[in-house]
Amino acid sequence: MKFNRNFRHRTGLHLALMLVSLITVAPYLWILSTSLKFRTEVFTPTPKWIPWPINIQNYLEMFEMAPFHLYLINTIIVVTGILAVQLVTITLAAYVFARRNFWGKEFFFFLFLIQMMIPIHATFLPNFLTLKNFNLLNTRIAMMLPFFASGYGTFLLRQAFRQIPRSLEDAAVIDGCGGLRFLWHVLIPLAKPTLIAFSIISIVSHWNDYLWPLIVTDTPEVRTLTIGLGMFVQQESGADWTLLMAATAFVTAPMMIFFLVFQKKFVESFMLSGMKG
Amino acid sequence: MRKIIFLVTVFFFITGLLSTSEIWAQKEKGKPKLLRLTFYYPVGVAGPLARVIGEMTDKFNKEHEGRIEVVPVYSGDYDPTMQKVQTAIMAGNPPDIFMVEISELPTLLAMDSVLSLDDYVKKLGKEYWDDFFPPFRENAVIGGKVYGIPFQRSTPVLYWNKEVFKAAGLDPEKPPKTWNELKDYATKLTVRDAKSGDVKQWGVTISGGWNDWLFEAFVRQNGSFLISADGLTANFDSKESIEALDFWVELKHRLKVGPPHSTWGSTPPDFVGGRTALLYHSTGILTFLKRSAKFDFGVTFMPQKKTFGAAVGGANLMIAKKIPKERQEAAWKYIEWMSNVKNTAEWSAASGYVAVRQSAYDDPVMKEHVSKNPEYLVARDQLKFAHGKMMAKNFQKVREILKRQLDDSAAGKIVPAEALKIAQKEIQAVIK
Repeated sequence: MKFNRNFRHRTGLHLALMLVSLITVAPYLWILSTSLKFRTEVFTPTPKWIPWPINIQNYLEMFEMAPFHLYLINTIIVVTGILAVQLVTITLAAYVFARRNFWGKEFFFFLFLIQMMIPIHATFLPNFLTLKNFNLLNTRIAMMLPFFASGYGTFLLRQAFRQIPRSLEDAAVIDGCGGLRFLWHVLIPLAKPTLIAFSIISIVSHWNDYLWPLIVTDTPEVRTLTIGLGMFVQQESGADWTLLMAATAFVTAPMMIFFLVFQKKFVESFMLSGMKG
Repeated sequence: MRKIIFLVTVFFFITGLLSTSEIWAQKEKGKPKLLRLTFYYPVGVAGPLARVIGEMTDKFNKEHEGRIEVVPVYSGDYDPTMQKVQTAIMAGNPPDIFMVEISELPTLLAMDSVLSLDDYVKKLGKEYWDDFFPPFRENAVIGGKVYGIPFQRSTPVLYWNKEVFKAAGLDPEKPPKTWNELKDYATKLTVRDAKSGDVKQWGVTISGGWNDWLFEAFVRQNGSFLISADGLTANFDSKESIEALDFWVELKHRLKVGPPHSTWGSTPPDFVGGRTALLYHSTGILTFLKRSAKFDFGVTFMPQKKTFGAAVGGANLMIAKKIPKERQEAAWKYIEWMSNVKNTAEWSAASGYVAVRQSAYDDPVMKEHVSKNPEYLVARDQLKFAHGKMMAKNFQKVREILKRQLDDSAAGKIVPAEALKIAQKEIQAVIK
């Protein structure tokens, strides 16, 4: 009896969850389906989910339009480069703001917060000028440099550090562990969920960056995936849907795989950081 | 595991740094004699056009080996391209050659960033400049000076689905020729669900997104204009414009035979999917429709009121003003080459854009192309009735204001006379 009720409760829950996940997965399935169709099969009066006959040509044609393999390598370099530097800068900055006292601390922290509020487009011209003076235009560094410091990340991590009790620090100091060692051995391990959450946000947002990379780069050797993707969306004639979907599948696939592999870690970290508020 | 992730990150980071320094080295190695020019261009229609531009440029570079090398830079749609060009100009690092949407010319002139091409054009004589179709030339000239050479140019046309014409008992070879016929046909072609009354097939879709461009065509068909040729005086609340907008409201709101709102990118698929019988859209989608539609369809002039009429669209080739003289001359060599008869013909055949020079239609490549696909001639023939597109400073704002009024009118939120009075007042203030 008890087992039965439990079972029924579970099936109900799973059915509901499956329905919700279907809504999330449907667009992706539609992308895959369209990417395998012929052009005349895309717009049928009744939606056609299973493409038949299958047309793999789209993926080959897509690679003819632009060097997507280069774009993929560039995107990975840019995204990991940004994240690697960000993790260092935000941990140090957050540590100082959370645990040290110095003159003008509140004011400087306020400046960090303001950085989050300035629309990114307003920073394009000054950043462009800086890069031009450093002779860095049309390089991968140009796409990374403006994002090396992150107000958002600093804020997020500072909050996480502040939640860690002072007594821990006192204990550490008594045992002769201060400053950076305390940061490395105590604060960072405890703030791991926040760091992971921030990393995901950073990776996803820079993976999808379009306008900044478009403005600072000129040659295919340094350009990123989104610019390649943009070539399939045309203002005057609408999109070339089958190719656009093939390209979208290719551009999103690494993110999908990344998420599937690390899924458990992510959910865990989000739940933890969610509880901490 | 942790070590591996760390090492991989470091590896990517270092390769990133190294490859940037490689580019520095390359830049410094360039021989002093060689002029390396940058060319920012947008791609407006579907197809491997970036590759076509690349191949054409390669040919030019080969002919000028050791002296000029043009590096074409794909810079997104029209709007991102304009942003990229503006940012580069403001930073004092302008591209030598660029192509932006035609109505942006006054904005760029206000930044004092476009070179007048008068001397170059004069040197080539009348047969060069007069060979371009007159409406295309209009958007390249301001204050009697030439600033651009027409290159990727288009105009809106009317597409009709022959099969649904048959189904509605209409002659599939006779598209509507006048506004009245259009209204009549659209009413007959609209199919509603018997029970719910939901529209299953619209009679006519006047595409949104670039509806400001289509609206200008309707105003031209009614014998008026929206902004004076010098770009300084707005004329949005004329009797003719109000009549044109009222016609839209009749189709989209009162009779409900066309969707009140749509996007530029979604309406060609609607046409291909049989959800609209008639479609107002750019000639630039013709290649897409030919490849995607499973039914027989036709292309024709946009119906007339007092006259046939259209505003042309697209982009011109331009040269930056603040670059050394020798670079300007090299840039002109490239533009002259790209706009020669043979290349305009090849570009038109590859892209579906209208060939910008009249004599291009006598070129063998073009002759073969249009004999196989006579539909491509409709846009050219309509040019007899076409005008330059409106141009003004702050054109992005002008569009925004006009589109808002067009959309609100189509939704029945405001009457046409009121809407256009507001547009007139706001736009006049913006373009002064």
